[in-house]
Amino acid sequence: MLAYTLRRVLATIPLLIIGTFIVFALTSQVADPLGPLRLNVNADQAAYDRIIDQYDLDKPVPVRYVNWITSAVQGDMGESAAYTGTPVFDLVSERAINTARLAIPAFLIIALLAVGLGVYSAVNQYKTSDYVVTGISFLGISMPTFVFGLLLQSVLVVYFQRWFGIKLFYVAQMQTGSIVEVLKSHTLPILTLILVITAGESRFQRAAMLEVINSDYIRTARAKGLPRRTVIFKHALRNAMIPLVTIWAIDFAALLGGSVITESVFSWPGLGRLLLDGIGRSDLNLTMGIVLLIATLVVVFNLIADLLYGLLDPRIRYE
Amino acid sequence: MSDLLQSAAPLDEEALRALAEREGMRLDGRTFGQQAWARLRKHKLALFAAGLLVLISLSFIIGPMLSPYDITQPFPLDRILPPSWAHPFGTDAIGRDLMTRTLYGGRFSLLIAVVVSVLTTLIGTIIGALSGYLGGWVDALLSQITNLFLIVPALVVLIVVSRYMRSVTGTSILLALLLWPQIARVVRGLFLQYKNQEFVLAARAAGAGPARIMFRHILPNTIGPIVVSATLLVGGAIILESTLGFLGLGVRPPTPTLGNLVNEARGQLLTRPYEVLLPGTFVVLISLCINFLGDALRDALDPTTGRG
Repeated sequence: MLAYTLRRVLATIPLLIIGTFIVFALTSQVADPLGPLRLNVNADQAAYDRIIDQYDLDKPVPVRYVNWITSAVQGDMGESAAYTGTPVFDLVSERAINTARLAIPAFLIIALLAVGLGVYSAVNQYKTSDYVVTGISFLGISMPTFVFGLLLQSVLVVYFQRWFGIKLFYVAQMQTGSIVEVLKSHTLPILTLILVITAGESRFQRAAMLEVINSDYIRTARAKGLPRRTVIFKHALRNAMIPLVTIWAIDFAALLGGSVITESVFSWPGLGRLLLDGIGRSDLNLTMGIVLLIATLVVVFNLIADLLYGLLDPRIRYE
Repeated sequence: MSDLLQSAAPLDEEALRALAEREGMRLDGRTFGQQAWARLRKHKLALFAAGLLVLISLSFIIGPMLSPYDITQPFPLDRILPPSWAHPFGTDAIGRDLMTRTLYGGRFSLLIAVVVSVLTTLIGTIIGALSGYLGGWVDALLSQITNLFLIVPALVVLIVVSRYMRSVTGTSILLALLLWPQIARVVRGLFLQYKNQEFVLAARAAGAGPARIMFRHILPNTIGPIVVSATLLVGGAIILESTLGFLGLGVRPPTPTLGNLVNEARGQLLTRPYEVLLPGTFVVLISLCINFLGDALRDALDPTTGRG
């Protein structure tokens, strides 16, 4: 197990390097640290030289990348140009906390809902209740995140206030004071994330559950007279949840990395909007800092999922 | 059955029927397509979805031709009119009729979605087939590329590349390049499943080369799931296009697409929410219809789901 973990970690390093290099090369293509100077008629050659030296602009992209990654692995991610010299590390960690405020509660609710709905739907296959759950999850899959977010805002905030004169939720602001304020500002973005992700996950859980329910050992368990409830929850669910672990890992990593659309709909000061901002303003250091965090999250959670797989399913053994 | 196995000469239909009767089996004379259609016809909801889809597409194609309004010409006297008989969806900040723009935008969005689906399916099928059938380093490369797609945020690629390609064609190609691993994974799985079955081994023993085996022998068996994936992709692509538009990264304005219309109306959410919700509703409706249709196709095109 330890050897396997070690090998997996080593195998992901080239992937991380190639991935971050692609982003580095792409962003360098559009980033122009000399832009502000060009607009300034008083800028002398010394000012140009300083910027060129600071960003190694006289060196080719691969060399610049090597310089960046050597300081990054030592914990120095440079300074953000768009946020006037704030260290990227501070900026990213502050925004990562804001993103986690949405990601963690959303993920916990999604995990519970997806398993619940998937099992319910599978157990009642082809009954009205299954069709209702299926219909709702199709709606969730078909609804672009921004449409649902904007719909929630316009109905629950704008129209609700027009009709009843009460402002139910805050629009476009994060509040962390009292419990009421937290609820008023966090509920809608979390709800948006829940609908969009639960829809896909519950379909997946339903399919996995159906496959297990129709297998021989479940028929045996039923045939020897065990109660339906015991068979479903103790025999079937345990195995049907194994494939979901991979999906959970991917979704949780994506949530923690910041959801760009949800955060821009609700003007949430999280990682997703910071990334959008970073690339939009051609801020190389900032973009790279966030991408490194996202890539690490993906790799770590994938590894955790693989290891959990081995623990949950005794048929899988890692050498 | 034993007679059938022993006789090397092909049986004519008469003989087949007689044989089937003797063995107590029913001979289904319908082609695969006819059987699939019979199964599809049972899904009332899917047929309704298909009908609605045709209706929406027709309104996108014909609607703008019938409209008396221009899609780009500003008309300052008619600024920000609420929905009325003359302007069912109202008008925007510079007096353009929003219904005309929405229908015309739907035309572009749907066009992009279909092109993306076709392109993605082509690329994904070829790569998936190679990776599943040949295995080895081709397969290893594909799985590393798939991992790479998880690590590199699509947003970074989209923002950087969209600076150079924001035409209808450019956006389509960009989306196809992002989506092909989805199809490749499906096709790879199918090829893995088929490549050691008897009919493939027989073809190989008869001297067929890898290209012939892949595309003449295995591919026809995988058409069902590929058609289903391609259908669902149209829905996925229309959502992605509108999301790109929402972020201001889609086709360059003033060309209307459903996503661009949402982006233009975004600032008015608090005062005129319908301007955002109407184009959004079209995206949801199209994608919903496609999901229902795709789900029914999955049943209909699966030869193991009974006789229908």
